[in-house]
Amino acid sequence: MIISEQWLRDWVDVDLDAQGIADCLTHAGLEVEGVAPVVGQIDNLVVGEVLDVIKHPDADRLSIATVDAGAERLTIVCGAPNVRQGLLVAVAKAGAALPNGMKIKNAEVRGAASQGMLCSAAELGLEEQSDGLLELDAGAEPGQRVDDTLHLDDKLIDIDLTPNRGDCLSVQGVARELKVLADASYHPLQIDIAEPTIETPIEIKLHDDLACPRYLGRVIREINPQAVTPLWMRERLRRSGVRPISPVVDITNYVMLELGQPMHAFDLAKLHDRIEVRQSTAGETITLLDESTVTLDGDTLVIADAAGPIAIAGVMGGIHSAIDDSTTDIVLEAAHFTRKSAAGKARRYGLHTESSFRFERGVDPQLPPLAIQRATQLVLAICGGEAGPVCEQKNDAGLQNKAAVDVRLARLSKLLGMQLQHREVDEILNRVAGEVVATRDSWCVTPPSYRFDIEYEADLVEEVARVKGYDEIPTAMPRIVPRAHAVSEARVSLHQLRQSMVARDYHEIVTYSFIDPQAQKTLSEEAPLELSNPLAENMSVMRTSLLPGMLAALEFNANRQRERIRLFEIGATYHSESGNIVEKQKLGVIATGPRAPLQWGLTNDINVDFYDLKSDLSSVLALTGSKEPFIFKEFEHIAMQPGQVSQICRTGPDGTQVELGWLGRLHPSQQKKMGLQVPIYAFELDVEKALVAELPVFSEVSRFPSVKRDLSVVVGDAVAAGDMIDAIQVELGAVLSKVVVFDVYRGEGVEDHNKSVSLSLVMRHADKTMTDTESEKMVGAALAVLAKEFGAVLRS
Amino acid sequence: MADSLHSNLQKILQQAKSAVASADTPATLENLRVQYLGKKGELTAQLKQIGSLPAAERPKFGELVNQLKVEVAELLAHKKAALDHAELAASIAAEKIDVSLPGRGMGIGGMHPVTRTMQRMQDIFTAMGFGIATGPEIEDDFHNFEALNIPAEHPARAMHDTFYIDEESTTPHLLRTHTSPVQIRYMLAQQPPINIIVPGRVYRCDSDVTHTPMFHQVEGLMVDEDISFADLKGVLTSFLQQYFEADLKIRLRPSYFPFTEPSAEVDISCVFCESGCRICKQTGWIEVLGSGMVHPEVFRHVGVDSEKYTGFAFGLGVERLTMLRYGVTDLRAFFDNDLAFLEQFK
Repeated sequence: MIISEQWLRDWVDVDLDAQGIADCLTHAGLEVEGVAPVVGQIDNLVVGEVLDVIKHPDADRLSIATVDAGAERLTIVCGAPNVRQGLLVAVAKAGAALPNGMKIKNAEVRGAASQGMLCSAAELGLEEQSDGLLELDAGAEPGQRVDDTLHLDDKLIDIDLTPNRGDCLSVQGVARELKVLADASYHPLQIDIAEPTIETPIEIKLHDDLACPRYLGRVIREINPQAVTPLWMRERLRRSGVRPISPVVDITNYVMLELGQPMHAFDLAKLHDRIEVRQSTAGETITLLDESTVTLDGDTLVIADAAGPIAIAGVMGGIHSAIDDSTTDIVLEAAHFTRKSAAGKARRYGLHTESSFRFERGVDPQLPPLAIQRATQLVLAICGGEAGPVCEQKNDAGLQNKAAVDVRLARLSKLLGMQLQHREVDEILNRVAGEVVATRDSWCVTPPSYRFDIEYEADLVEEVARVKGYDEIPTAMPRIVPRAHAVSEARVSLHQLRQSMVARDYHEIVTYSFIDPQAQKTLSEEAPLELSNPLAENMSVMRTSLLPGMLAALEFNANRQRERIRLFEIGATYHSESGNIVEKQKLGVIATGPRAPLQWGLTNDINVDFYDLKSDLSSVLALTGSKEPFIFKEFEHIAMQPGQVSQICRTGPDGTQVELGWLGRLHPSQQKKMGLQVPIYAFELDVEKALVAELPVFSEVSRFPSVKRDLSVVVGDAVAAGDMIDAIQVELGAVLSKVVVFDVYRGEGVEDHNKSVSLSLVMRHADKTMTDTESEKMVGAALAVLAKEFGAVLRS
Repeated sequence: MADSLHSNLQKILQQAKSAVASADTPATLENLRVQYLGKKGELTAQLKQIGSLPAAERPKFGELVNQLKVEVAELLAHKKAALDHAELAASIAAEKIDVSLPGRGMGIGGMHPVTRTMQRMQDIFTAMGFGIATGPEIEDDFHNFEALNIPAEHPARAMHDTFYIDEESTTPHLLRTHTSPVQIRYMLAQQPPINIIVPGRVYRCDSDVTHTPMFHQVEGLMVDEDISFADLKGVLTSFLQQYFEADLKIRLRPSYFPFTEPSAEVDISCVFCESGCRICKQTGWIEVLGSGMVHPEVFRHVGVDSEKYTGFAFGLGVERLTMLRYGVTDLRAFFDNDLAFLEQFK
């Protein structure tokens, strides 16, 4: 909310400048976003009275005005349509520098001498656009400085109010707050009762007096439809960020800004019979002031007449009962709509207004009688007319005082961690509330009718702390019972995982949890959870895999001339499993381009392949210390190239296979879609399942030498090397300490559809030296089992 | 006869000396060794002539020949050492490399700045004795709002633009708008004393220069007998001083969160300037987090006796702290995943 410093000072005497007021408010929780001058000082800008206007002899659209500028008479050429005799205007004399940068000099305009310029509001920096001269209010003295007349030495204080402080959404509210905070002298507006001069009543029916426990209406007849809003009021509205519209509307807005009571005015001639406050019936429609037509739900509080809704209560009025420029008879409305009845309506209908903003946060139920008098007073003064009696319907039960709240001195000290004096607390509470009953060690406080935020003892604790100043609270250190445990060895920590991927030259990425449904569909067969209100279509489903996000990041970098891209992400995926929402922590890894960074001494034309990624994957799995090997099975995945994708499993404690994830090459059609020439490989692991760690188990290291023997065999192309290794391990048992494939060869010397596999066997006894004879026998046994199971032939 | 033998010996010695001196390879030296000291070598041959000498001179002659053999052997050894040394020096010179060439192999990656910051935050808080708790990102209304004293239609909900999943169903879900629901889950499962932090992803339906629809928070919660606002100040001061590695001051300002009362925004004294800069908007203070004393309504929802126990909670924005720490100026850079950005964080 933007508040004018001058307007505020009408209400409160405080020994602080605008910045001082801003700091005081900020430190008390009414955060001031900024303090800005209305317009800077403008020299040589004075009030002038137009004495005479003649046509410019050589220009159709220009006139020449003679202006009384106090000490002197000036002749000024002017193009504005509203220049006329008797008008009080702002005259920029030679030497004036206007806020828009214009410097005024004596000049000749189309052959006529001009001693300055008559100004529009826009030229003075008061409006964005103007279509004529600014017309000053009657009473301005020619020769007087215009910045004095218009009070331009004002500052605007922009306060970002938290939702609990609706009571500060007015000049009155902020002034009241300054009284509490700075112990300033507060003088509320004296509002005279405007006695009725006619008897026209308005009939009011409250059908829901819980949602609207108070409704005041008042007829004013025979107002002058040609009246204009005085400049001082337009200026205050404008400075508060409210656009002036017409006198009656401006007055209701003015009272809202001044007192905090949103008001409305209907055209009496357009009302059918009476005013009713009721819940809407579903399907009812109303065309609003902004000319939009809204179909109402069944639970919206409306103001209606005999013909139907004429306003959404506390949100916006309807156009069919609106004041227009021929209106002479009006009904002023000042009502209390409860927070509960207002809640969510603006949001539901997309109608956030100054009024709904205030009612949602709570408006003082004691305000309407005051506000309707104030508005009457202003209407009569500005538009004339005859006021009828104030008609009120209310439900006293709904207007009762707020419940009293107890606060204990001991509780204050305990929550704030500081000792407070009884006298001091007593003084603060009495500033905050009118009704405070003190005992020796506690107080019973009845919150003012405008303070909706005081309900609990803690709320009063905050009031005391806030008024005293949070800076007064000491700094202490609590005794903390250690709750952190060293990371368990039963799991590989996410930090370990990250470090390990970083060490293998991967950069961590963080991608959005919601993705494009198209990408989801082409990269996964799982039906995703959908957002009901996504920000955009391409962020509308929850990811079931990290792959789409990783691919998007890879593509982003590929489009920025990156050839070698290695990324990983650790994050949740979201699933619907038999009606339950399940989140799984995943590790996703993706790589493309050269295996190693460009460098001397290494061939750089080798791109990463399946086995590079498998090595990175194995390094992660190795963190578990698992003694059982992980199982890589042939697999099918919608996003992956058939024949280059593997499922990763481990044997669970009960002997069944637990699926941990997959590893593979992105399907060439996907790769082509991204416009990339080089294959992309990726893997994804379920972190919870995969990274269950085992404790190392010591076994005696043999003191006897090991024997290493190599063996090359030719087998059919389809034979899996992993199966060959398994077979050898089973056959040779514990004597075999290690078996490694060190070459796979196809080509000359090996028949088509065959391959040569070279294995290195390391064997060792635990308790004796292995003889040559024994090792030969072992190699023979290995060969025999390979021959038997895979038709292997020793390569000659 | 004896004289000629002697002069012969001297001649051989002289020849050997000059031959060894001019030898320039180990092979030549080996040939010389054979030539002079071998079984058929010249000195051995001299010894064979000892029979032609009178018996009385023989021992002396023998001794002389042996002396010469030793002398020649030493010459050879000496020269061998010199040649070996020269050869090594030559090969060392030949093997000189360009030490400025880079090392071979793989590079090194890097952690995302957000996780780097989260890790630091966790390290600091765990060192202080806080435990780490986590919770689901897809939440329900009760944990995200209701139990946190944000009933339906509360104006504070407008501060949490919420993403919904199956909004129309009887059990709608939402993407948590803060890490605070984990406070509720933890307190429902565990009686005080409680001191935990909760790192994680959170979501708000908002996207512009200073908002991304997904971001990260670290929530803190401490509940025990006699936990006060002063303790909150102490814990946050300690954390922020460690995080920024600076002797900074903190300032609390009253604020409003439905789940804490009293509530406070926390500012730190600007870590970038002495007297006002762009980052602190010339105020000398930077807003870093929201906090407060746990609201009695929250305690009521989770069944903690608010007369016996008091507590504080705070919520730290990870991206905000990362931006302040490393001078990042564009929030959206965190989720573009541009390697040119990521590589700045090793």
